[in-house]
Amino acid sequence: MSGAGRRIRLVMWKEFLQLRRDPLLIRLILLMPVLQLVLFGYVVAVDVKNLPTAIVDLDRTSVSRQVAASIGASDYFTIVAHPTTDAQIRPLMDRGEVAVAVVIEEGTAARLARGETAPLGIVVDGSDTSSATVGAGYATQIVARFNQQRIASSGLAGGLAQSPGLDARVRVLYNPTMASLNTMIPGLVAVILMISLMVVMSQAVVRERESGTLEQMFVTPIRRTEYLIGKVTPYLLLALGQLTLVALVGLFWFKVPFHGSPVVALTGLGLFMLSAIGLGLFVSLVSRTRQQAQQAVLFLMMPFMILSGFIFPISSMPDPIKPITYAIPLRYALDVLRGVAVKGAGFEALATPLLALAGFGVLIFGAAVVATRRRLS
Amino acid sequence: MSVAVELNALTKRFGDFVAVDGISLSVPRGEVFGFLGPNGSGKTTTIRMLTGALAPDGGSAWVLGEDIATHADRVRPRIGYMSQKFSLFEDLTVSENLTFYAGVYALSDAEYADRSAYVMEMADLTGRDRELTGNLSTGLKQRLALGAATMHEPDLLFLDEPTSGVDPVARRRFWDLLYELAERGVTLFVTTHYMEEASNCSRLAFMYRGRVIADGTPRGIQAETGRRLGLATTPSMEDVFVSLVTEQRT
Repeated sequence: MSGAGRRIRLVMWKEFLQLRRDPLLIRLILLMPVLQLVLFGYVVAVDVKNLPTAIVDLDRTSVSRQVAASIGASDYFTIVAHPTTDAQIRPLMDRGEVAVAVVIEEGTAARLARGETAPLGIVVDGSDTSSATVGAGYATQIVARFNQQRIASSGLAGGLAQSPGLDARVRVLYNPTMASLNTMIPGLVAVILMISLMVVMSQAVVRERESGTLEQMFVTPIRRTEYLIGKVTPYLLLALGQLTLVALVGLFWFKVPFHGSPVVALTGLGLFMLSAIGLGLFVSLVSRTRQQAQQAVLFLMMPFMILSGFIFPISSMPDPIKPITYAIPLRYALDVLRGVAVKGAGFEALATPLLALAGFGVLIFGAAVVATRRRLS
Repeated sequence: MSVAVELNALTKRFGDFVAVDGISLSVPRGEVFGFLGPNGSGKTTTIRMLTGALAPDGGSAWVLGEDIATHADRVRPRIGYMSQKFSLFEDLTVSENLTFYAGVYALSDAEYADRSAYVMEMADLTGRDRELTGNLSTGLKQRLALGAATMHEPDLLFLDEPTSGVDPVARRRFWDLLYELAERGVTLFVTTHYMEEASNCSRLAFMYRGRVIADGTPRGIQAETGRRLGLATTPSMEDVFVSLVTEQRT
């Protein structure tokens, strides 16, 4: 019906006019992605590099020197001390002079020569958890690579290869340098989309209720659905602009690789938008004032950011918490975006998170529209 | 004479609180109908049900010959509504507001030119169409809101406390505008708690605690109350109201 189209266009038109006249909101909308890019790109995602490291070489063989050299050769560790005993590590760490210590036990070379497992001690400063975990991870990787090279060069049989010098449990498949940026920026695209849809849209709806213009519109021929479409569309376009900005800066400034198909990424984002809009509508329904809407968004954002795996990996969460992450739509959006960008995954590989996003989208958006139609006014 | 508004045992509850308690009313077309009562007596709730903004919990409401519960969409193009609170977009200009409401009611370009010129003149806003609505004075806002609500020439206009917060001179002028509308055949349904405004109406209903406690012409109600109280002179509207409310409380 042309009447519905005309009314939707009118609501959109006045929404854009109002947006244009709210200089603070426009600044926030433009600055938010920039600020987040800077924060996450330069502060949160900074890779642990040049960790001050102590090497305790108790073996003093050519093999042990090779291990030490390969650790020192990496960007992650800077060897600053060569203590001669274990006991000297503690004071070094107490003073914060080293963050990591690698202990090569006596007899390592002999054991390796016999094809046995040789223990390699990695001591990390647990008071700086991120450096500690990352440092330990890097060290394990370096040692694993060292083992591979040794086995390959010595041409040992496959049977012997099963007894490496160290049990390297941490394996980073797709992001061998563990550049956090490469996973952070794709995730940021989803997070920004969610924030701007939830915050800005719920604020706009609540403001309209506060000022009484909402009620005024509903005694005119404008239907609730027409109002909703007209109201949501401008913010959708805005969010699209924001995420394009983030994606471009991510690709060209931070040089984040994008291995997959944009179609898959956009499908995931589109489905995720349904959830974000739905949540924004719910927020605007339960809030009578803009302050309440703000608090409600904060209330939702905290568990979203923390439980989705955006900042902390889900795999390192305590077991009782892990099941809860399945109820967070952002989790699946991150799966899709990171999968596409980092691994180049397609529809088939990402079927589960995409279906989950579709399910959440239909559920949350549908419920929000039904509730809004009933409660608006 | 045909009927503009017909209420039958109309009821609205909010939880345990009965905001509108089974009221029945009939408002003929062409009337200036005054809906009186203290704050919280259920006037606004009744109007919101009549405009289809709120669904009744019981009874029925017929507006311009249509059941508002089932055919609100047929009624809406033919009614206008001006709420207690100024509810045009304050961050839009005067003419943007008018363009919005003209578009919503599908006015043609010619109709828009004609009607907006009238509204601008009526609201004393000629030449100020590019001004932000939020910067206008309260009196001007009120007149603009009335203009926006009548852009589409409705048959029936609901006004909820239209003159609250306006100075007496502006209020007088506002009522002159309402009379102009009434002369053109528009039915007016006006709520107010200003008793002196009651005598401006051709018919009245007194509402108290969700019930209609008296209705009729202003003179009729005054005369009847005077008789009941055994007064020699006709009581003022204020006295009528006070005595009606006191009777209800005892």
